[in-house]
Amino acid sequence: MRLEMGHIYIKDIQFASESKIEDGILYVSEEAVKAVALEDEKIKSVSLDIAKPGESVRITPVKDVIEPRVKVEGRGGIFPGVIAKVDTVGEGKTYALKGMAVVTAGKIVGFQEGIIDMTGPGADYTPFSKTLNLVMVCEPVDGIKQHDYEAAVRFAGFRVATYIGELARELTPDETKVYETCTIKEGMEKYPDLPRVAYVQMLQSQGLLHDTYVYGVDAKKIVPTILSPTEVMDGAIVSGNCVSACDKNPTYVHLNNPVVHDLFEQHGKTLNFVCHIITNENVYLADKMRSSDWTAKLCKMLDLDGVIVSQEGFGNPDTDLIMNCKKIEAEGVKTVIITDEYAGRDGKSQSLADADPAADAVVTGGNANQVIILPKLDKVIGTLDYVTKIAGASEETLREDGSLEVELQVLTGATNETGFNKLSAR
Amino acid sequence: MNGYMIITNNPMVRDKLGETHNVVYQEISYEDILKDVRDRIHEGHTLLSHPLSGSVKPNETPYKSIMVSEKKGAVDAQGLAIIENAIQACGKFVFRSDKYKPEVYGDFQLIDLTLIESGITSADTQMWSEH
Repeated sequence: MRLEMGHIYIKDIQFASESKIEDGILYVSEEAVKAVALEDEKIKSVSLDIAKPGESVRITPVKDVIEPRVKVEGRGGIFPGVIAKVDTVGEGKTYALKGMAVVTAGKIVGFQEGIIDMTGPGADYTPFSKTLNLVMVCEPVDGIKQHDYEAAVRFAGFRVATYIGELARELTPDETKVYETCTIKEGMEKYPDLPRVAYVQMLQSQGLLHDTYVYGVDAKKIVPTILSPTEVMDGAIVSGNCVSACDKNPTYVHLNNPVVHDLFEQHGKTLNFVCHIITNENVYLADKMRSSDWTAKLCKMLDLDGVIVSQEGFGNPDTDLIMNCKKIEAEGVKTVIITDEYAGRDGKSQSLADADPAADAVVTGGNANQVIILPKLDKVIGTLDYVTKIAGASEETLREDGSLEVELQVLTGATNETGFNKLSAR
Repeated sequence: MNGYMIITNNPMVRDKLGETHNVVYQEISYEDILKDVRDRIHEGHTLLSHPLSGSVKPNETPYKSIMVSEKKGAVDAQGLAIIENAIQACGKFVFRSDKYKPEVYGDFQLIDLTLIESGITSADTQMWSEH
């Protein structure tokens, strides 16, 4: 499969009477974007705002972060099975608007998650302080159930991102990158001496605000399967989770998964990037056993030499992570696992809720219990009403001088387990 | 009934599932629910759902629902290891589940309910010997 990714760099976002992209500036018609968001009758109102790197702005509660893209050649469309009709994606030509994101926010439950600070110490910990953010705060109609509201905000974000992405359809990209994968047989013939490596990505799949979707399918209902690594670049996997925002993958991270990109960098040089295996993280223990059995079986059947396994979340997914690691290693396939740590505020507690001697190559995304003081910022997009109820915060979080004492857990993407952020340990 | 029972301190689980499922409701803490389940595993029940949530951490939410088998058999060694690790994990989090405003508790109950419901969906399509 061959995918050409055209990057269009966005230098600024401005509200204007007409939506368009000109000379790297995204002009957004508020009216048009609101109309797209309000296509769903479950959304009563939407307010739009622009947050730029360095501004004294705090966005919260963040639900998802999405990079606008448009499919200009090849099968299918962006977000297949969700926005575009079901078709296998990952080939042809896709344009992405780099340097910007659509951020959705809205209170779904009372302990809502996710802070993006555009300046100050918090900005150092969230990757989305570096993007120009078009923020949509969605208010639901009265009396709506949390499930319906979550779905409405999720879909509204994808619709708006698709609308913005479409503005780039006729543009010429500033930069083009080509990603090409081989079939199993081609890869063996082309790179007979290179180690065969795959990426095993664990997707959180447990319930409201804990879900992920693959081609529109709720990931808790999949069995482990194989993707071509370019499929995620067209939105094959989207996020429905945001609780404990530090280690959840927003859709932006799925589109730009750094494990996929780094493996492509080495493909044909130091390794043969065979495929992308996806598996889930369910609540039911028999599901965990079946999924890890199947993942290990696929690794064996593909004659892999090694895999990189990334986790999503903490707690019960630690069990999936260790099951995957143990069973894959038992098939004679080397593993490197990527996780993050809940090692207590002092960093002295055991980092994971499960462990095994087979897990002897571990990359960490940082300690989510680490305490950070976020100073008061001039403007809040969304509301601070919920900040005291998010994971890693409490009623004592809001201090007298307006600053917040929180754990890294609250910052969107702070300890991302695909390595999307900068924290780690040696 | 369904071959499994749900050990919970969540009143929403009791109210929504109590009539159709074997729900054991007790007004005890999150950690005590874990310990109750540990004791049941020692008695021979099999642990069927993971005792930790995927995101909402112990001591942040006061609510927990866990599925175990109705039948008793040999001690479930894997389940025992998982529940012991979960009890240990409780100690890592600053206790604050009594510090929220009243309206938040309903949301915590709902999240716990959706997590156990996803376990029930799996259990009800897999009527094999463990339950």
